[in-house]
Amino acid sequence: MNRNSLRARVTAFYVSMLALALVFFSFAVYGGVRAYLTNSMERVLNHTAESIVTDYLVPLENKGQTWFLSEMSESFPTGISDPFVRVSQGGKVLYESGDLRDPLVRVSKLPLPSASTEMNSFHRATAETGQPLMIYDLAYSPPRGTPIVVETGASMEPLFHLLHSLFMILLIATPAILVCAAVGGHLLMAGPLRPVVVLTEQAERIGRKELGERLSIIRSGDELERLSLALNRMIDRLEEALAHNQRFSADASHELRTPLTIIRGELEALLEIPGLLDQATEGISSALEESDRMSRIVDNLMTISRLDGGGERMEMLPIDLTSILNITLDHMSLLADEKQIVMTCEAEAPVCVTGDAMRLKQVIVNLVDNAIKYTLEGGRVLVRLEAQGREAVLTVADTGIGIPAESLPHVFDRFYRTDKARSRELGGTGLGLAIVKAICSAHSGTLSIESAENKGTTLRVQLPLLILSPQEIAELQSRQAPPNNLIRGERSTVSPVKV
Amino acid sequence: MRILIIEDEQKVSALVKRGLMAERYAVDVTVDGIEGLEFSDVYPYDLIILDLMLPRLPGAEVLQRIRRKNDLVPVLVLTARDSIDDKVKLFELGADDYLTKPFAFAELLVRVKALLRRGPVNRSSTLRIADLELDRLTQQVKRGGKRVELTGKEYSLLEYLMQNADRVLSRNMIIEHVWDQSFDGITNIVDVYVRHLRAKVDDGQTFKMIRTVRGTGYMIRRGVE
Repeated sequence: MNRNSLRARVTAFYVSMLALALVFFSFAVYGGVRAYLTNSMERVLNHTAESIVTDYLVPLENKGQTWFLSEMSESFPTGISDPFVRVSQGGKVLYESGDLRDPLVRVSKLPLPSASTEMNSFHRATAETGQPLMIYDLAYSPPRGTPIVVETGASMEPLFHLLHSLFMILLIATPAILVCAAVGGHLLMAGPLRPVVVLTEQAERIGRKELGERLSIIRSGDELERLSLALNRMIDRLEEALAHNQRFSADASHELRTPLTIIRGELEALLEIPGLLDQATEGISSALEESDRMSRIVDNLMTISRLDGGGERMEMLPIDLTSILNITLDHMSLLADEKQIVMTCEAEAPVCVTGDAMRLKQVIVNLVDNAIKYTLEGGRVLVRLEAQGREAVLTVADTGIGIPAESLPHVFDRFYRTDKARSRELGGTGLGLAIVKAICSAHSGTLSIESAENKGTTLRVQLPLLILSPQEIAELQSRQAPPNNLIRGERSTVSPVKV
Repeated sequence: MRILIIEDEQKVSALVKRGLMAERYAVDVTVDGIEGLEFSDVYPYDLIILDLMLPRLPGAEVLQRIRRKNDLVPVLVLTARDSIDDKVKLFELGADDYLTKPFAFAELLVRVKALLRRGPVNRSSTLRIADLELDRLTQQVKRGGKRVELTGKEYSLLEYLMQNADRVLSRNMIIEHVWDQSFDGITNIVDVYVRHLRAKVDDGQTFKMIRTVRGTGYMIRRGVE
């Protein structure tokens, strides 16, 4: 799962918000319960002590010791009174409710209040058995005699036990809730985000193919509907711009080609004049050659602008690039022979791609032609085609004059010439590599170059590989075989091994 | 043979007219679609040369209307567009052939003649020019009775030149016939092959048949002018 996806981020955000809220809530509940329990315990102790004073100690003067003891033992029976009580006067115990049984607290073992004990306040103590206790001391001064101290106390263990349970509940419940929320939220987010995924897939498909399609509108009335509408409007504008570009290309090419036709026609007619001076013939012929080159430039420019603009309709079919390569190199072998260049071809058995056979052939012709042009006599050109992973890789390497490092980034630019005088002399239009690049892009492929001056240049075309069964490949090859193979004399001079 | 040119660019139509008249065709020129249609209604033309970008009525529309009335007259379309889409559309509309501007007049002439003949161009099994002989069945070539060994492409090139003897063939035409468009305008492949062909056919002969017409292309000639 992508950690940066909207879904993951939204889920993470609200889970952390929920976690914050839950932790805050847990603290609040724990603190609140603890305060409430402690308070109520204090209230009980306080109340008990006060009532002993008013109900039994104040009347003690009149009613006597016996009455006091019987009343006390009735109200606070020994051993079962909770809270326990102890009434003492000057270090002598008047009444004691005795030990608590559950939890066991031996009250008799608790130290008696001394003079230093703060009166009318609560203090904590620990029983001999280790029980935490809360004790309230209340002093009563009878009209005569020494002050009487009333102690009321209770074990805090039940309270701590309860708080511990609460703590455990919160400790387990909080993460559990968070996990449930994360999983549930993540699943829940799939629903609202589904249209976004669909939109993305559609948009990618439209980008790859033609712009004719539109995204399906999400009729949800929310932001997503607006988004899909906005995207469609954007595609409309794109399509319009492309159409405009294509119209412009067509118009421009028309405007350029008509005058070229006239120039060409007039010059041709001039050449027909009998008895023309040699100088005139020379000039007219040269002008004709230039008009020829100009029409080639116009052609190439139009081709590039159509390829770039997606206006070129290409026949994208499964093809066996290896056989196209072999046929093309065969046709070009004489060009290499002319310059005593050794052209070698290493082509693995069938490498298939989806593409326009004509255009891919043009890629091979351009690259090999360049390699031969810029390699000195006696050099070598190595053409290799192989399947690497999920790509068909075509490399054309030469031992030619190479390209200076500072020119490398520009070689695919239109009209860029490394060595202006030289390449123009060779009749190029300055658009060959730009066309190759445009064709590669139109096939979802890439074109890259490596070069060392005076050592050679390697151009590499990478296209998405098409994986076919041997049977499909055989079908492909029979379909691809040149239909007009009337020429029996044609024998491959370029074998897959060596020229 | 009477030919109608429908072309708004007057310099182009003048050139074509001049060239065709030199070849003894009768030629009429109209400058827009409506006028062109009227002419094609009135006179029985053997061929119509139609430009696609016309004022008043676009060429495609003119072509459709001509086809509605007259199935038979061959139409050669001149176009400044060369995308495959446009070409396919042209044939769907009923064009017999098309030529992309700018064109060499020689190429126009070859196509005009082919359309007027309306049939396979000299498909006889043997082509013979002076003492050069090409047998299409055995694919053998002889000069002065002596066998000339050619590779496949050299053979195709010679056959194309001989088929159009005495006509200048541009490099473009040769590439489109002997190779295919992917070689278009990229290489000097035609020159290299012609040089090789020439070495085999003309070397050691007093009459050099394969002639270079600079700025235009190549031709094979029947005899010395």
